[in-house]
Amino acid sequence: MNWMAKTRPGAAAPAIAPTSKPGPASASANTNLKVRTSNGLKEFLWLMSDVPHARVLDLGPVWQATVNFFLEKGYRISTDDLLGTWKEFVSGEEERLRAAPLTSEGYSARLTASALADKFLENALQYPEDSFHGVLGWDLFDYFDPAVSSRIMDRLFGILHPGGAVLALFHSRAPERFHRYRIIDTQTVELVAAPTLAVHARVFQNREILELFAKFRSSKTFVGRDQVREGLFLK
Amino acid sequence: MWRKQNDAKPSPEPASKAPEQPVTPVPVKPQPAPTPVAAVPPPAPAKPPAAPAAPAFSAPVTKNVVTHDTSGPSSIAPGLKIRGELSGSSDLYIDGEAQGKIALPDSRVTIGPNGRVQADIEAREIIIEGTVEGNLKARESVRLGSSSKVQGSVLTPRIGIDDGAKLRGKVEMTRAGESKGPATAEKPAPPAAVYKAAAASSESESSKR
Repeated sequence: MNWMAKTRPGAAAPAIAPTSKPGPASASANTNLKVRTSNGLKEFLWLMSDVPHARVLDLGPVWQATVNFFLEKGYRISTDDLLGTWKEFVSGEEERLRAAPLTSEGYSARLTASALADKFLENALQYPEDSFHGVLGWDLFDYFDPAVSSRIMDRLFGILHPGGAVLALFHSRAPERFHRYRIIDTQTVELVAAPTLAVHARVFQNREILELFAKFRSSKTFVGRDQVREGLFLK
Repeated sequence: MWRKQNDAKPSPEPASKAPEQPVTPVPVKPQPAPTPVAAVPPPAPAKPPAAPAAPAFSAPVTKNVVTHDTSGPSSIAPGLKIRGELSGSSDLYIDGEAQGKIALPDSRVTIGPNGRVQADIEAREIIIEGTVEGNLKARESVRLGSSSKVQGSVLTPRIGIDDGAKLRGKVEMTRAGESKGPATAEKPAPPAAVYKAAAASSESESSKR
């Protein structure tokens, strides 16, 4: 889509020529404060606007701005930094393996990705069924092994209330920096540069995204100017 | 020299100035225990002769005096472990380990950076800089510092979260002073909350391709 086409029709010429290139991100040029417009978030909030005291699960770190945003709307917000928890878990596992005795073949028993995921989920995302009306998944799935992602998705599907929605972001190429996300307003998200918690694992193709969310009733995707695909998936 | 000895007696000046502020109580015997010091009201200011007694009031002693003040916070220092139920009306500072339940509804509870608490905490004001596994319920406010790590739900009318804080659990607002039941673990969402999404989704642009 040509972003220039979005200029106001009546305007003869742009009053201010853009000082920097518009892409690759809709994020601002300011490196300290990167924001992006999120149609997915706007839609996500609209979906929940009729639910009194909607329960939202943010799978990123806890931010004052995000918490305030939801609390002011009368929602109940839960946070569970899944990637942070995963990293701690994996570090713990590696530590355990290092300490474990070698097997007869000379190798310690390393868990497969799916076994690791199962073990991880014994303690992570432990919420009762149908707990949440909305889940903010951000770009988490880009950072997990496919086997882990699919198990996490199964768990998310379970804890999501029927009719509930998951908002997820998918990069079209490996991002230059690792970011966490916090909500500024109904349509704006701030990207906060953070120490890398995990290496970007994969770039999802459309088909793969739909496969990942295969259990969900419907999906809607938006592609931003920064080529980040936002997906909204309804249970 | 001579004069000085004589002067000491008649001159009215010194008597009126400092009526021999009867000795600083401790200097005679350097006491290791700070408790009696705390009981004595602070000596009159500017009594230079008290200078030799200074060692008795060395820094650590003064510190102890403060902790004995009943209006100050009680504290659990690093290295201390406590298990059970804590209740009362004093403010509490925990930099050690605590397990059980902490119920100080009119006080401030602070978990220091070294503090590790496995307990539900109920207080007027809760400040976390350490690690807590348990639900937090505050009548006024909860503050999660940048080094805090909380696993449990937070129930409060006001919350402050510093960047870097870690929270695994839900945040729920109460009105100031409102006493809701104890903060509890996640409960299922109310049944049959139907979204307009349900209807809207069927018309959504790109339903499953």
